[in-house]
Amino acid sequence: MKIHIQELKLSTLAVAVAGALASMASMAAYADDQEAAALKTPKSTVEVGASNVNGTSARLGEYNGYNKSGNYFVGGMNIRGGDAYGDNGGTMRWSLVGTDLGLTTRALGGTVSDQGRWNLGVYYDELRHNLSDTYQTPYRGTMGGNTWTLPPGFGIVGNTTTMTNAQKAALQNVDINSTRKNTGLSAGLNLNAQWGIKFDFNRLDQTGAKLMGFGAAGIGGASGEFVSILPSPTNYKTDTVNLALNYMGEKGNASASYYGSYFHNAYDRITFQTFAGANNMQTMSTPPDNNLHQFNLAGGYQLLAKTKLAGNVSYSRNTQDQGYVVDPLMFVAASTAAGNTMTSANALVVTKHADIKVTDQTFKNLGLTAGYKYDLRDNRTASNIYNFHAISGGNDANYPNTPLSIKKSQIELAGDYRVYKDQTLRLAYTRDDISRYCNQYAVGVLYPAGTNCVVATKSKEDKVEGGYRFKALDSLVVRLGYSYGVRKTDFDTNARAAFLSTNGGNGALGFPGQNGGDYQGFHTLLDANRNQQVIKASANWELNDKFSVGLGGRFTDDRYSTTWGMQNGNTWSLNLDGAYRYSDTGTVTAYVTQQHLERTMTDLQRAAFQAATGASGTAVAVPSGATWTDKLKNSDVTVGLGLRHTGLVGGKVDIAGDLSYSMSRSDYNNQLNYATLTTGGLNCAANIILSCGATPDIKITTIQFKLAGTYMIDKKSKVALRYLLQHIDGSDYYYNGYQLGYSPTQVMPTNQQLGNGTIKVISASYIYTF
Amino acid sequence: MRGDARAPACQTCHGESDKHLKGNTDGKGRPAPDFVFKKGAYAASDDRERAGQCLTCHKGEARNNWDGGQHQVAGIACNDCHKVHRPADNVLSKATQTEVCFTCHKEQRADVHKISTHPIDIGKVVCSDCHNPHGSTGPKLVKKNSVNETCYQCHAEKRGPFLFEHRPAVEDCTNCHTPHGSNVAPLLKFRPPMMCQQCHDGTHASASPAGPNVAGAQGGLTSAPSRNLVGRACMNCHSQIHGSNSPAGGYFQR
Repeated sequence: MKIHIQELKLSTLAVAVAGALASMASMAAYADDQEAAALKTPKSTVEVGASNVNGTSARLGEYNGYNKSGNYFVGGMNIRGGDAYGDNGGTMRWSLVGTDLGLTTRALGGTVSDQGRWNLGVYYDELRHNLSDTYQTPYRGTMGGNTWTLPPGFGIVGNTTTMTNAQKAALQNVDINSTRKNTGLSAGLNLNAQWGIKFDFNRLDQTGAKLMGFGAAGIGGASGEFVSILPSPTNYKTDTVNLALNYMGEKGNASASYYGSYFHNAYDRITFQTFAGANNMQTMSTPPDNNLHQFNLAGGYQLLAKTKLAGNVSYSRNTQDQGYVVDPLMFVAASTAAGNTMTSANALVVTKHADIKVTDQTFKNLGLTAGYKYDLRDNRTASNIYNFHAISGGNDANYPNTPLSIKKSQIELAGDYRVYKDQTLRLAYTRDDISRYCNQYAVGVLYPAGTNCVVATKSKEDKVEGGYRFKALDSLVVRLGYSYGVRKTDFDTNARAAFLSTNGGNGALGFPGQNGGDYQGFHTLLDANRNQQVIKASANWELNDKFSVGLGGRFTDDRYSTTWGMQNGNTWSLNLDGAYRYSDTGTVTAYVTQQHLERTMTDLQRAAFQAATGASGTAVAVPSGATWTDKLKNSDVTVGLGLRHTGLVGGKVDIAGDLSYSMSRSDYNNQLNYATLTTGGLNCAANIILSCGATPDIKITTIQFKLAGTYMIDKKSKVALRYLLQHIDGSDYYYNGYQLGYSPTQVMPTNQQLGNGTIKVISASYIYTF
Repeated sequence: MRGDARAPACQTCHGESDKHLKGNTDGKGRPAPDFVFKKGAYAASDDRERAGQCLTCHKGEARNNWDGGQHQVAGIACNDCHKVHRPADNVLSKATQTEVCFTCHKEQRADVHKISTHPIDIGKVVCSDCHNPHGSTGPKLVKKNSVNETCYQCHAEKRGPFLFEHRPAVEDCTNCHTPHGSNVAPLLKFRPPMMCQQCHDGTHASASPAGPNVAGAQGGLTSAPSRNLVGRACMNCHSQIHGSNSPAGGYFQR
């Protein structure tokens, strides 16, 4: 529950609302005296208390630690000292800071420094991500473990909507959460006025699990594509090291640094038992151990009095040599495919980065920028043909891995011209070039030498940008901006980007090598030629020292040049903010933000359309050439209200309150244009198919209300009361298919829920200041 | 209280300000200091002048890209975000940093109230964990050279390199995810399968357009719903969507 009582007198809302664009002079002046005193003699605080949560909700306690009903310890501290404070004449400072010590969001850290010479810090930071408290599964195992088996005698489930009573009774609740713990150390040493060393180490420990789909392979007597949603363990450890040698000179600076990141997964596999077929054990791979070693050189130099040069080069090696874990039910072990004899990917990606930027302000009213960036992802992993099954038991694959390399460059030219004292005009041009390729691509019968592994081989985007900023009446700041970008992509229609053996669906109309058989004329959202326009505008007006208001908006329009695929899209947003300081000790704020997204895609219907379920056995023949469109609309409204008032009841009471309301709505509308259907008079709107029309709205409303108050008992003692209300009310069809009796016949139900409800937290604590 | 030899005095930041120090010599009031950081009794100085004063001392790697960076060209100066006379600077504290950033970044402020977010609202992931507001070599002021490098700081399990790579995941995490908040968990830009269909029209995708049937029987479907469309949709089976290191993982099913 984050309301910062101690910040009340520092006009949090003046920051939050007026911020960069305005200031509240008299309030700031009021604060200055206290701030100066606090700088000289910092206040230390220790807080102890208790809080009570009235209900249980993983959703409403997703991150804040209040996911279970009951009582929690409230504890925190902020203790500072050292001979740099007061009139001691030293330069030493130390601090010990702890927050949320009774919750799974606890953090504790300490620092000690001799200003200008050295510093040392240690910290611990914890966070539990509560994902579900309604999840059910018949599987037995430990949340966070890597083996999931069915209870003895569970038997086989051919249709999950008609499980036996014994099988239904085997469903049990498992709380799903993932916890991260960061433990770290940071240190710095200034060798002299020019040279310094910095060192940081962080260990990120992760435990728990996240839910993931586990499809059963239909090979060797098993039945394929039966899906269990199971807790996938997140038993990870990531160590990160930063070591930098820094130089600071009169005209320039430089830094040479090493960044290392070493990831270790305690599990190299997850084994799970299938609930269909032969109840056999199958294997799922897990994220492999990997390391990143990165070397950086960065610097800046004052070329002329008003001309600066900045640059950076990086070289990194990302390695991964974990041994393969073979799932015998999916791997064609007897195959002679080269990949099937490999024991590890021995993957290596070398990343290179270079950038250089020159900025010039020689002319008082003109600022110029010229920059160039280069990025290379050089994937040196070998490519081999791998022969394996799909989980369906059919669609055997005999195709290569595609170790993708990407080369990017960017040129930026920009100028900012001060037309008049408070008016600035900006013009900018950027050019992005991207090349994609494989260094080596396995050669096979279907992959002749010279075959490209990627369809969108090159992309380039030119963008021009204009902006105008002016200030009027010393209190009104207006910003206007416009950009226009054109993206063009080169497509290699002869490329065979794997997935070759499953391309039959689109027949002669399809490109065999593209995404498993894209239709000719279909280009992905990421690659399709695109024209993009962006318009931005904002105005912030400080009417007087009591009232400020801001209005801003953004509009983006995307137009794609592709026969099939994404056609167009637009987004816009509108923000209105206001702040009113009704007294020297009180401020109210309000804001409303509206966001909107809309996009339309279209595609060619496959000639033979199967109804939404294979199990229904209803096939509908669709005339060749029929098309379908899908339109998404997303609309979000967020409203916020805030209040800060200090010095009530003779200066003893401070209060702060924040209310936020968010309503999000997403809907997808799908239309098929086929005119006549040949099977039983069905059409796409028939309840047995329902493949045209609008999806139910994903509509979610969240409300959060925070109220906090402190009562000053004496100069050293305060009592704090805090109240938190969180509410979610929504509907999301996502969960429908995971309910018992309503799931797809081959998906084990999980009883996952959106998590509608209301949770209230009340806290009381004592704060001692010294 | 004192600092080391570099510690500034008033004139270090506000300039020599001779006229100001001499006071009201002409009856027109005390002239302004050479550099004024907050509007009050005097008008605030130009943003470049204000930032220039700070950068006299606070130069170095993290601020090498300030000039020409998004914040600099937007007319933002250091003290628009930082409060130098306070014992605690809101923007330097994880608990209060977002309040400062959301002053201007209002869509992000709205995003963090959606149902799927990073733990931004409780101050466990804050803007500066991913962004360097002082200028960056990466896009969107991300801290590292690319979006993915930045994400891999915490999500190293997604880094691979995997045997079988999924191109959108390799190129840019934000192809599918929107990091500040979404109506579709987990931080997805769109709901699958529609999101997947934006790039895939082969095999399953164009064969089974996802209409109201995604809502299953509760939405009026009288046949059993398709595992391709409901819930996780494509990812019911293609669950290793960030990449697979299994030699049988080419379909991202293992």
